[in-house]
Amino acid sequence: MTRRVRRGVLTAHVTFAVGWLGAVAAFLVLAIAGLTSEDAMMVRVAYLAMKLITWFVILPFSFAAPLTGLVMALGTRWGLLRHYWILIKFLITIFSTVVLVIHLQPISMAAGVAAVRTLPRTDLGLQVQLAVAPAGALLLFLVNTTLAIYKPQGMTRYGRRKQRERLSA
Amino acid sequence: MPDLPPENGDDTGAPRWVKVFGIIAVFLVLLFFGLHLTGNSPGGHGSPMDHGSPRS
Repeated sequence: MTRRVRRGVLTAHVTFAVGWLGAVAAFLVLAIAGLTSEDAMMVRVAYLAMKLITWFVILPFSFAAPLTGLVMALGTRWGLLRHYWILIKFLITIFSTVVLVIHLQPISMAAGVAAVRTLPRTDLGLQVQLAVAPAGALLLFLVNTTLAIYKPQGMTRYGRRKQRERLSA
Repeated sequence: MPDLPPENGDDTGAPRWVKVFGIIAVFLVLLFFGLHLTGNSPGGHGSPMDHGSPRS
């Protein structure tokens, strides 16, 4: 990968990853509003907006971020499995994407109810879940961002072996 | 951001931060599944919202 292509892919990766973080933060604000607001119209609008953000921003970014990260890792000497910080970032991202996909149905369900009528107050389980999940995701994304900036040292056994092979060549 | 990884490798095992991270991750995963399996997860994957009194 040429330096220009590498920086282009890195730009895309950072854009998608940080954009994902921002969109989840916005989703969390809406989820808290939906959970705590006394205004029925505000609650309905919040869940409708959550669905829009999810399908048009969060979901595409959740695939674009790991894909561009994968291109970056495999297209450079960093690799995917050679450095712990990269491996952990990737695992966190995959886990976050899986959890998001699992929550697509409840998000759409809440929006579907909100589109036709006022949400009931008694069954708050789903609404609490839709607030807790993005809060957890934000913590994971902060971990990922920290790892990306600090790049703590530590090579895997595979990485050390590949490095020895390269140095002895 | 540097374009290439550092050349100096580390011949010892996983660094301390990875081990601490792993312990925390295992604990959280066990806690997560434990809460879900015992029905104590925050909110839980709720049932369809088709009952109860509407908000004012």
